[in-house]
Amino acid sequence: MPEETISATFDVYRFDPKTDSTPRFQRYTLELAPHTPVLTALLKIRSEVDPSLTLRYSCRSAICGSCAMRVNSKSRLACETQVGPEIARNGRIVVEPMRNQPVLRDLVVDQEPFWRQYDAIEPHLILDPRHPMPEGKENPMTPDQVERFRETPRCIACAACYSACPAVEADPGFPGPMALAKLYRFVVDPRDTAHQDRLLRIQPGGLWTCLRCHLCTEACPKDVRPSERIRDLKEMAIRVQGGTENGSRHAIGFKENIRERGVLSEAKLVRQTSGVAGMVGQLGQGVRIYRKKPEILKTPPKIEGLDEVRKIYEALDRKEEDAP
Amino acid sequence: MKLAYYPGCVAQESGKELDMSTRWVCRALGIELVEFPNFSCCGSGFIDEANEVLNVALNARNLAIAEKAGLEMLTICSTCQGMLSLANLRFADPKVRARVDGALRPIGIEYRGTTKVRHLLDVLVHDVGLATIRAKVRRPLDGLKVGAFYGCHLLRPSDELGSESAEEPHSFEDLLAALGASPVYYRGRVMCCGFPIQFVKPDTASRIAGHQIDDAKAHGADAMATPCPLCHISLDAYQNRAEKAVGHSLDLPVFHLPQVVGLALGATPEELGLPRHLVPTEAALAKISPKAPA
Repeated sequence: MPEETISATFDVYRFDPKTDSTPRFQRYTLELAPHTPVLTALLKIRSEVDPSLTLRYSCRSAICGSCAMRVNSKSRLACETQVGPEIARNGRIVVEPMRNQPVLRDLVVDQEPFWRQYDAIEPHLILDPRHPMPEGKENPMTPDQVERFRETPRCIACAACYSACPAVEADPGFPGPMALAKLYRFVVDPRDTAHQDRLLRIQPGGLWTCLRCHLCTEACPKDVRPSERIRDLKEMAIRVQGGTENGSRHAIGFKENIRERGVLSEAKLVRQTSGVAGMVGQLGQGVRIYRKKPEILKTPPKIEGLDEVRKIYEALDRKEEDAP
Repeated sequence: MKLAYYPGCVAQESGKELDMSTRWVCRALGIELVEFPNFSCCGSGFIDEANEVLNVALNARNLAIAEKAGLEMLTICSTCQGMLSLANLRFADPKVRARVDGALRPIGIEYRGTTKVRHLLDVLVHDVGLATIRAKVRRPLDGLKVGAFYGCHLLRPSDELGSESAEEPHSFEDLLAALGASPVYYRGRVMCCGFPIQFVKPDTASRIAGHQIDDAKAHGADAMATPCPLCHISLDAYQNRAEKAVGHSLDLPVFHLPQVVGLALGATPEELGLPRHLVPTEAALAKISPKAPA
């Protein structure tokens, strides 16, 4: 019995900087089995309809990470995205190159910014030369130690997370989810001896620019969960170095703010994060908001049962743990 | 229906208009709000960054308060919704639970892990129901094009929290349509508002907010509406900075979720706290076709 097919419309982003002044979308309609991967459909277009269509791919098995692109606006691997569900959901399949990396041609982007951020975190074990590994000896790890970086080695460097990240879009200096997830992997590796240096260097470099919007975790085809690893890095950075950046001061300040009354005192938080000088910088904005919302300067009443909240802090957050 | 009302910090302070409009709408729809003066802050994602277990324990205390009263919790903030829901999930991990129990037991608190956390949007769409809401509309928002803006923590991580698709959610748009408004679909509706780094990297935060407001406008929105008061701060109170970051005027009013519902159900702008907004809402209100009595 012949396999059932569906009529699938593709709107594919086309751009050749040598001949085009602006990008355009080209429409192709194919009869395909619903389970056909989007990558297979694109290769069919290239071999049967339009040999000029340019894309990057290799393994076709979600292992190599080469075919990441945006399919119906989500950054993902074309080889593991099936045509049927996309047509059912969206009526057509819009295929675009990844974001946050310049387009070289059609669906191929220049990944240089992505790899530059990866190189910058020194993605290899750094060993202390004063304590070399004894010749021929193994370096055993406990299951608990391995468990801490169980997820990150699954990363195939497809850059889907980098493409999805709004912080990268607004601030190209931000290392991006993949580089930070890889950094985490080395920070928790018991064989690495540069943990503290790594945490110290990454903080002004943009650790605190992460918005914890989880768009990276959503985009990741390998469930590396970069946003959660970035959270882990932030907590470790605070434990090791305390409040050295606006971001860490804000997190510590927020925590201390709630210890005092159980609810947030908004005006005080600005001082805790930015200091007196920072408050002066916020003055104009503060006055503007105050005119409509005078509560920003009021100190809210303490919650009932604040003693319980404080006891929870005493049990789980001894102050000295924040010290550098 | 009766719910444990968890207003969150901002709605009790600079975002008071969110609390006002929530109370108005819940009264109109017969939702009884039970108040607990002993709820503490959800940590807003910041305490989680500083100390994850502490954050779970503080929220387990909140969840235990509702559990003891036998009530589901009602949140009106995407971040509160996300933090309380994540606390429930993290609490299910035996290692985390042992540490949290160890902090709660000495103060006589036991959490069994049963409290459901519900956002107002979810309750309106799934419990009250769109048909009921449609029947109560006194002033349809005909002519008003509204771009819903969900807020990250209502949607993501979707495998842990999501009650609907994180890429193409539609509950808010369905609700807007039931109120008579025309929902506007745009990429930015599921993106980040920039709020978490508003005090850390103000320029980057403002650019991000500006991108989303620009996007809503480019798709024809007369206004945005958000179920999160933190998004509201970024999109409304800091819209002047977003304008500076994108280099042009935006002037797009931003409603809180219960404000759009309240408007359609017949509340006055004053009852909903609209005069408290930084971006004036009059131009958007004027778009509502006057055929129905206010």
